[in-house]
This record gives sequence, C-alpha cells and structure tokens, in this order.
Amino acid sequence: MGRPLLGRLLRTVLAVWALASAVFLLSRNDANTATLLALPDFSASVMAGSGSSTDYVAAQRVVQRRLGLDLPLFYASRPHSSPTNTPRWHWNGTQNQYHRWLIRLMRGDLGTSFRTAQPVANRLYQALGFTLPLTGTAALLAVLAALALARRLAAKPWWQQPVRAVLVAVHALPLFVLALLLLLTFANPAVVAWFPAYGLDQLATTEADSWSRTQTYLLHLVLPVTALTLTTLPELTLQLDAALAQELRTDYATTARAKGLAEENVIRRHALRNALLPTITQVADLLPILVAGALVVEVVFALPGMGRLLADAAAGRDYPVLVGGVLLTGAARLLSLLLADFLYFWADPRIRWQS
Amino acid sequence: MAVLTAVSFSWPQKLAGSWLVLLVLGALLAPYLPLAYLPNEPDLAHVAEAPFGRGSAGWHWLGTDSQGRDVLSVLVFGARTAVLLTLPAALLSALIGALAGGAAGFWGNSSRLAVPYWLMTLGGLWWALQLPVPLLGVAVAALGTVAAGLAFWHQRPSPTWPVPINAVVMGVATTLDTIPRLVLVVAIAAGTGVSTGGLLALMTLTTWPQSARLVRAQMLRIRILPFIEAARAAGLPPGRIWLHHALPHALQPLKTALPLSLVGLLGLESTLSFLGIGLPPDVASWGGLMGTIRAEPTAWWIFIFPSTCLITSILSLLVLGKKSLVSV
Repeated sequence: MGRPLLGRLLRTVLAVWALASAVFLLSRNDANTATLLALPDFSASVMAGSGSSTDYVAAQRVVQRRLGLDLPLFYASRPHSSPTNTPRWHWNGTQNQYHRWLIRLMRGDLGTSFRTAQPVANRLYQALGFTLPLTGTAALLAVLAALALARRLAAKPWWQQPVRAVLVAVHALPLFVLALLLLLTFANPAVVAWFPAYGLDQLATTEADSWSRTQTYLLHLVLPVTALTLTTLPELTLQLDAALAQELRTDYATTARAKGLAEENVIRRHALRNALLPTITQVADLLPILVAGALVVEVVFALPGMGRLLADAAAGRDYPVLVGGVLLTGAARLLSLLLADFLYFWADPRIRWQS
Repeated sequence: MAVLTAVSFSWPQKLAGSWLVLLVLGALLAPYLPLAYLPNEPDLAHVAEAPFGRGSAGWHWLGTDSQGRDVLSVLVFGARTAVLLTLPAALLSALIGALAGGAAGFWGNSSRLAVPYWLMTLGGLWWALQLPVPLLGVAVAALGTVAAGLAFWHQRPSPTWPVPINAVVMGVATTLDTIPRLVLVVAIAAGTGVSTGGLLALMTLTTWPQSARLVRAQMLRIRILPFIEAARAAGLPPGRIWLHHALPHALQPLKTALPLSLVGLLGLESTLSFLGIGLPPDVASWGGLMGTIRAEPTAWWIFIFPSTCLITSILSLLVLGKKSLVSV
C-alpha cells in the first residue's frame, strides 16, 4: 500500500501548492483594496483638517510596506513603463512577495493577518478549536445514521421509495436554505425558540460556572450539527444503499439466504462489509467537504469558527488568512487520503494480506 | 436516433418543464415586465411590509424586505441573475469538459506531434509573450516552418514528440478537485473583485472537471468499438474520426449530468450571493434576499418566496434529469 499512497500524497501536495499559489497571485490583483481597507479612516483625517493628499499617499506607502505589498509580486514582471515602449519582462530576483511567502511557508510561518496583525496560524488554530468539534460530531452522526438507515432501506420496507425521494431532494438543497429553515423554525421567537440563534462569541465572559457553560455550548451546537448532518447524510445513504442493493443480488447473498439466514443477517454479516468499500472514499471525502459546509453553517448561526473566519477574510480582503484557509483545506484533503487508505486496510482483508 | 423519437411526458415532468420555461422566460423578459418597482429602487416609506400592502407607487404583492425593496421584483430579477449565470456556466463547462475529456480519452498519452510543429508553437509562444529577445522565437518558428515544408516536399515523415493530453487534462482536473468548490470559489472571488463575467468564468473553471471525467470514461469505452476501427481502416484522419464518429457517442452521459450540474451551479450561485461574495451587492438575487431575513426574523415572506422558487427549480431539474436517464 506504500507506493501508490505516496504517489497520491505527493500529487495532492503539488495540487495544494498550485492552488494556494494561484489564490496568492490572483489575490494581489486587488492589493489596492486591501490597502484601502487597512488604512485608518481617510475621510476622518480630512475632516479633522490634518489630512492632505500627500499625507494620504504617505500613509498608503506605510501601510503597503507594513503588509509587504511594496515589493514586486513575482520573479518576473512586465511593468508598463511608457506608452511608446512595448512592455518588456523585468527580472526581479528573489526580493518579491511570492518568494518571501514561499520561504516563510517552508518554515511553517503562514504570515500575519492584514486586519488584526495576528499570526495567521494563531487565528486558524483558535478557529479550528471551535470548528473541529462541530464538524467532527456532524461527520460521526452522519456516518452512523447513514449506516443505520441504509441497512433498514436494504431490507425493502414499504417506505423505501418515499425515503429515497426525500433523500434525493434534501441532497439537492443548498445547505444555507436548510440551515436558515432550521434557524427560522427552532430559534425564532415567533415560532419556537428552543435554541439560541447566536451569541457563542460572548460565552467565555458571561458564564462563570463550567457546568452551565457546557450546557450553553451544547445548546448552541444542536442546530449547526443538525444542519451539517442533514446535508451530508443523503449522499452517504444513497451510495451505501445502492452498493448494498448490488451486493444483495450477488451469488454469495443467495447462498447465504439458501442456508436459511434471515434477510437481516444476510445484510449485516455478509453484504455490508463489501458494500462499505466504495463508501469509504466518500467518508474520507467528508473531511474537506465539512470545512466548506462549516463556511455556510457558521455564517448562518454566527459561530466563531474556521468557516466564518474564511468568509470574513474574503469580505475584508484579508489575503494571508484566505491563503492559510486554502492550505488548511488542502491539509484536510491529505489527511482524508491517509484516512481512506487506513480504512481500506481495516475493511478489506485482501489488502491486508497482500502487504 | 433515440433522441428524435417522441417521448411521452408524465405530469410531474410536464409541470417541471413548464416551471423551468416560465423561469427562463421571466428571466429574459424581466426588464419588459410591468413591474411597479425595480429591485434597486427601495420604497423607504414601506419597509418590511407584509404581502398585499399598498406602496407609494403601486401594490407590493409579495411585500417588501428590510431595505424597502419590492420582493416580487427582486424575485423576478433574481431569477434573471440565476438563469443568466448558471445556464451559460453549465453549457460552457459541458463544452469544455466534452472537448478536454473527449481528447484525453481518445488519444490518451500516446498522441504525437511532429517536431516542426512543436518548434512553430514554441517559437510563436516565445514571440507572443515577448520573452527576452523576441526575434529568437521568430527564428525558431521560421526554422520549424522550413522543416515542415521540407518534410512535405520530400514526402518524408519527420520525427515526433509525444503530447501527454490525458496527463495534462486529468492533472488539471485533479488539482481543481483537491479543494471543495465553495472554498476555492470564495478564495478566488475575494481576490479578483466582483463582476458577473468574472463569476461566470470562475464557475465554469470549477465545474468542467466533472463533465470531463464523464466524457473521458465514456470515450475510453467507445474508442475500442468496431466502428471506430472500421473508420480507421477506411483511412479517415484521426481528428475527423474523433469529432464525427466518436464524440457524439461519448457525449451521452452529459445528458443526465447537465441538469445535475445546473442544480449544483444554482446552489453555488445562491450560496455565494447569500454570503455576499462574488456579485456586487446591488445585483438582485434569491440568495441575497434570503440573507436579509436575519435582520428581520419575523418577516416570513422574505424567506418563503425565494426559497420556494429555488427549491421548485431544483426539484424540477431533478425530475427532468431523471427523465433523460430513463429515455436514453
């Protein structure tokens, strides 16, 4: 299992590097907006009478130097020096933004945020501490529920067709509609306000008692976890259901039935393990998908996690945080590849015996 | 062909089809419809009013949102945004996917290009990019042209270099699939600024790998069938076999994939406008309208109408997608 896995990991690392570089280089198209957003309010200083346009330009320079935006972007550039000259390639050497970013990345430094001047790694770490319990719980619940549901569905009960139709419909719904629907139904004073709609940011300051804090925390997590579970459940269930249906048509299933086994036993003891194999890839794919799902859910429920960090960074042109988020998602993909290989190893004895 | 035979539609499919036709017509004719308000003309005297209220210029049939915009007109113009973004994006990505995936499946990594043509391409690129000493590129291209002419004159095959089409296409597709589409689009859309054309390009860029994979898989099956072999034996040039004989059959999976890719794009578009990323804030959209509910949680009409439109469109596309699955 070593060689192909190593190749896949290497390819994924290359792909993540290419995507992060693309996001890095493309984001610098819009460096002026980032500078403007990082400037202290210009109109206020003009109102006070102290500001002039030269001051403004100087302030802009200072901000650009602080953010590292004054250097050329890439190893080579084509400055438009004069309208008569055709633009020529200019070699910038290693004193450029991309080179600096790459070297720092090699040392494990993700840069500093434009907006808060904190190290990006710190912000990501804080956000992850919140997002991982959320997405982890949702993933676990979705896998368990899919296993249970697919096993029941495979026995062909009368509700098989309607449930399948509902699953297909839910699968097609955008996550934010689902999340908003939950929010407006269960956290709305006009309908039922069983769960709080927002306010987890202030949790640390308001609640002193650790027991009540845990309680509030869990209460806040119910709706987001439900939304994430509901959106990942259909795909897993439908896939597992289709695989089980195929396995139950094979000869060994017929043999098992001919031995006199009950249908439930045929499913659980014989078909399920074989049907699990194609699902494993999907379970591993959940990891990066849940990061994206957290993006929507955390915005809807106002949770201070990874997804909202990314959304805020996108709105505020905080490029180091955005690139850091892309890299982190890539890392999640790498982890998921490893996880998939490990799960295959565990589920399929043929792979175990070969190696 | 099976496509041309008359198929009978069941009533859910007729319903779904007529809803989608209505949606596209409404989207195209939105500027000419007799709407009392335009989506970016707020009626500030009537903010967050319930449906069937009388506004300052006419009835607000479906109410107004928290900024005083007429919900009905935002719905109509939001449909315009959705249709004009997702339909071209789906068609373009299907086209790119079909060409790239079809080429990758048909030729694999074994295709070869004669060295003179390589020289012409590389020299031309060198010149077009204005790399140092552009004349060098011109010289290389001229050398290639002369070599090609000589080879043609003497009827002698020139040496060839391989073109790894399959490796390039699948490599790019895998790279784009490494990171979930939403994260990638959000990260890039933030940096490149906001414009409808840019968002369309971005959506196309992140959607084509799906159709490329499907067409490539089908092409791998098609290219070893006897009729392709017969065409080769008849001496047809490979490009002609690919375009006229193999590709029409390899496109079959796209029939079912197109409605599904439309569903995905519709979801992506509304999610992006809900998050407020990608499109300018004054562009009317269903997702943006649904997002304003958080400021006014009691105004059910802001949420119910656009979400009904979105869900109905998605379900209609699913029903129609299933239809073509059965008929093929």
